[in-house]
Amino acid sequence: MTVKFKIYRYNPEKDAEAYVQEYELEDIEPGMMLLAALLRIKDEQDETLSFRRSCGEGVCGSDGMNINGINGLACVTAIDGLKQPVEIKPLPGLPVIRDLIIDMDQFYKQYRAVKPYLVVNDPMPEVELKQTPQQREQLDGLYECVLCACCSTSCPSFWWNPDKFLGPAALLQASRFIEDSRDQDIENRLENLEGPFKLFRCHTIMNCVQVCPKGLNPTKAIGRIKHKMVKRSL
Amino acid sequence: MSLYVLEGLRPWVIQRVSAVYIVFFILYAVISFLTADTVSFQSWRLWLFQPLNTTVVGVFVIALLFHAWIGMRDVVLDYVHNIMLRIFILGLFIGVLLGSGLWVFRILLLSATGLVSQ
Repeated sequence: MTVKFKIYRYNPEKDAEAYVQEYELEDIEPGMMLLAALLRIKDEQDETLSFRRSCGEGVCGSDGMNINGINGLACVTAIDGLKQPVEIKPLPGLPVIRDLIIDMDQFYKQYRAVKPYLVVNDPMPEVELKQTPQQREQLDGLYECVLCACCSTSCPSFWWNPDKFLGPAALLQASRFIEDSRDQDIENRLENLEGPFKLFRCHTIMNCVQVCPKGLNPTKAIGRIKHKMVKRSL
Repeated sequence: MSLYVLEGLRPWVIQRVSAVYIVFFILYAVISFLTADTVSFQSWRLWLFQPLNTTVVGVFVIALLFHAWIGMRDVVLDYVHNIMLRIFILGLFIGVLLGSGLWVFRILLLSATGLVSQ
């Protein structure tokens, strides 16, 4: 099978503005993933094409990109199901460093803002902090996030206020620690999310749910946080 | 209270509660209208003159004003990034809403006291 690609190109060192470059690959095998095709383009046709990638199995979250208008991981996106020509752009809403590589500083800044780690004020026990199976179940659907940024960069609220709205990925992580029975900082975590911007810019658009390559539901997690905030205020 | 009057959680709750009230009020108003014997200014005034209806409409207006404020505030916070322009638009909208609210309450008051002229 022959597949055509239209790929966003931008090299700030020599391009005045971004442009789209077309490529054509022959002998695409059934079931081949998009990342494999990009690697073939880079190896066989254009070594200047730049993109991030690492594990190639949807675990590291490095190769997030906009594929035919929808954010996703190239390594777990089969070419078979894509409309041709396959249009590939960098994740929207964040500055482009080069080609498909975006500057994720803002994304990580918002991630750090929710304190994505367990806060325990009591003296640590000699053995591990234990949970019942039911308490552990509360974290399902929250801990699996690989921080690929597909969700936050598909969220219009994040595009409009990337410096103030935390975005679905960071809020999913906030929920992951708010729901953790071992955490002792829940009051502060909820207090920290108050205000008109950090959490409440979410308008339940649900683009994040549509694009998450891990099948997670940040909108539901945000709803759980709001529910906790309402209960806390009563 | 800051520029973003009511801040985060409170407006989110008020928006939802007011939305539910507005839906019930519209149903009540439509049923009242459809079951009315005659449709005229006089019958409308008599309907509004009943203490229950005056209260229900008054609460509806308050709910509508809050709902409109929070909705408009959200749009401005999303799209208007220049702080001075944001203050201007929000201030203008507060003025329009308060003016509209006072106007409606004047009508309700005049209707309830029977001072409305035909």
